[in-house]
Amino acid sequence: MDNINVLIIEDTPEQSDALSKVLLANNYTIVGIARSYTDALKLFYEQPIDIIVIDVFLDGKPDGITFAETINIIPNASKPFVFLTSSQDRQIFDRAKLTKPFSFLMKPFNELEILYALEMAVEKFYEQNNVFHSEDQDTVISSDYLFVKKKNSLKKVAISDILYIEVEDRYCNIITENEKFVILISLTKISALLDTNKFVRTHRNFMVNSTKIEEIILADNLIILKGGHKVNLSNTYKDFIKKMNILS
Amino acid sequence: MSRFKILIIVLLSFFSFPLFSQERTSDDIINNLINKNKEFKNEINFNKAHSFYVKKNWDSTLIYSMKQLSSNTNKEIANYCHYFRLRSFHYKKMYLAAQKEFVQITNQFEFYPQSEILFADSYLELGGFKKAEIHYRNVLKNPKIVEQPYSLSRIYDGLGNTYIFLKKYDKAEEYLFKNLKISEKNKANLFNAYNTIASLYYEQYKDKQAIPYFEKAYAISKKNKDISEKKLAAKNMSAIEENQGNFKKALAYRKEFDQWKDSLNNQNKVWALADYEKKYAVAQKQKQIKVLKVESQLKESQRNWLFLSAISLFLLLTSGVYFYAKKVKNAKIILLQKNKLDELNATKDQLFSIVSHDLRSSVNALKTSNAKLSATLETNNYEELNQLIIHNSGIANGAYSLLDNLLHWALLQTKQLYFNKESVHLFSIVQQIEYNYKPLLLDKSITLENSVSKNIFIFVDLDSLKIVLRNLLDNAIKFSNESGKISFTTPEDNLEFCQLVLEDNGLGMDPETIIEILKDDELLAKKGRSEAIGTGLGMQLCKQMIKKNGATIRIESEPHQGTKMILTFPKTEKNG
Repeated sequence: MDNINVLIIEDTPEQSDALSKVLLANNYTIVGIARSYTDALKLFYEQPIDIIVIDVFLDGKPDGITFAETINIIPNASKPFVFLTSSQDRQIFDRAKLTKPFSFLMKPFNELEILYALEMAVEKFYEQNNVFHSEDQDTVISSDYLFVKKKNSLKKVAISDILYIEVEDRYCNIITENEKFVILISLTKISALLDTNKFVRTHRNFMVNSTKIEEIILADNLIILKGGHKVNLSNTYKDFIKKMNILS
Repeated sequence: MSRFKILIIVLLSFFSFPLFSQERTSDDIINNLINKNKEFKNEINFNKAHSFYVKKNWDSTLIYSMKQLSSNTNKEIANYCHYFRLRSFHYKKMYLAAQKEFVQITNQFEFYPQSEILFADSYLELGGFKKAEIHYRNVLKNPKIVEQPYSLSRIYDGLGNTYIFLKKYDKAEEYLFKNLKISEKNKANLFNAYNTIASLYYEQYKDKQAIPYFEKAYAISKKNKDISEKKLAAKNMSAIEENQGNFKKALAYRKEFDQWKDSLNNQNKVWALADYEKKYAVAQKQKQIKVLKVESQLKESQRNWLFLSAISLFLLLTSGVYFYAKKVKNAKIILLQKNKLDELNATKDQLFSIVSHDLRSSVNALKTSNAKLSATLETNNYEELNQLIIHNSGIANGAYSLLDNLLHWALLQTKQLYFNKESVHLFSIVQQIEYNYKPLLLDKSITLENSVSKNIFIFVDLDSLKIVLRNLLDNAIKFSNESGKISFTTPEDNLEFCQLVLEDNGLGMDPETIIEILKDDELLAKKGRSEAIGTGLGMQLCKQMIKKNGATIRIESEPHQGTKMILTFPKTEKNG
């Protein structure tokens, strides 16, 4: 699992320091701190970013909102973001809330509040509400990553790294080439959210990343994956083979 | 010649006198017959003719009967009309016209015999004595006529007269005595009967037989009121006396005759005068009617005008009253608003003074504390330094929360507050609020327990919820004793609502205070207890935020037992 990459756009060093301290303490990675709109755009394109924290006022101008507006109109580039603001001035809000999904945090905030705000931003952005705090789910699934809540912080797993998923009751075992961990999500939800062309059911309890399949042994009802992982293949789900382009 | 003269007088006078009593009986029969027949009631002209006939207004009878005849189809009505006309012409002495009417009456008609009598009478008047005789006799053949003494008397009388003119005195005598018999029996027309008989004898120069009848007639005339009879009787007597050579008596009778003649003339004059007066009066009345008509028209138009003006006045009045009432109402509303504004303004002023006072004392406390701090720093007393810093941060926190509330209150009042309801994880928010109060809780060694169910998502505006919880927790800590206990719980949780209870075991409050706090006006709660209670701004803000979020607040508390703040929030709809 990897840390979440956060871009901070904040002109006041004291506040950005305090913020990065809190985030680092909670296993977030700070990929950069931008002091201005241009800095922010530069960093936005240079760095791999998962979440952006934006101060509304940069140098007394609402450049934070302008930045959000900018990344909003770039297709497929936008990322979850959180506005930081010290004023509940309606005019600012009326402008800011046009940038969707809109989430904000009032200054001053404490550690818990910023963590909550980041989680909310991810939920809202991927339109999977009430996930991280519910008792039957802890993972938000985007097209590239699984965002998993571990204790107080968020972690991510690249979907392309996943070999297969084994479902066990309300839990799913995620097996990548390097590690194995448990997330809390129901089978119906995860199969609805994952790309069905990529992940195929091979068994009542297994979903396999089809790009990771090395060999299918029909006689033994077995699938051999990268790294020698073996997965059962049941008769009910054999049909997927027909859809695959098989060489040899 | 004088004898003939008498006769002529007698005969001419004969038909001129309507025999009221008996005629009435025959008229009564007509009336009854007409009234019985319902068919006749619809014929207006006929009814008018009839009513005029009864009143003996002959001209009008003639006019209306003619009108009726011109549009008539009913044979019986036609008969009646002709009968009316016959009688009318007869009375008007237009005998030829009367005869023409008779010809048109059919012989099935109820009053055909009576009509024929009149027809015979007209011949007698016109000198057609033979024809008169034939018709009288003709009527006499009718069996019904014998039962009517009046008609019989008429016939006998007519025949008598006819025979006198035909000089058949025996026959005349026979019929006249028959007439006399009927007249004596009925005590009617006696004068006429006697007078005719007397004339008969006188005509034959049977003076001895004539005189007693003349005298009888004279005697009857004396009893009767009829002036014409009196006149006639007097004249006859005078003629008799004159013939006998009793000129004195003759003169006396002559004088009497003259007297009656005068009185008759007078009476005629009086009648004429009366008639004229009547006509004049009628004309006057007509004039009056015309005037009245014009007046009534005038009155009507006046009344209409008055009515219209009354209506318009009434409308004007009502609209006036309406607008006045509206104005009064508006004035009342304005007054109420003014009072409320004054109150609100006073509240605001009070708020400002309290807030600035509180701020000033806070800052002042900080100032003195800082002076103490620097003094302590010089002495390097680190123990006390720490204490002072904690104290300072407490003061700063208090001032900050006051300012924060003030800001939000101002934003709320000016409707500037951004408000956006979303799904909120209640447990996390309580945890976040609690996080800020950890030092304060530690300072007072209060234990705080967050047992909010982790599965609850409520649908509220996050920041206003934070303000509410912050204020309530602030209060709970403020009113808690050292090492008290505060807890957040969610005892009730259903599909639509969830309860959040903030419970402490601190000072608590009495019911009056609760009512005071929850009172739904925008006035700030008074400072009941000195330092412990602030401006009331926090509570006020809480109430408004709670209301705005569609939530409710309830307080359960007992003095020295603790306080329960029970909030009820709407939950996030599933799938929504």
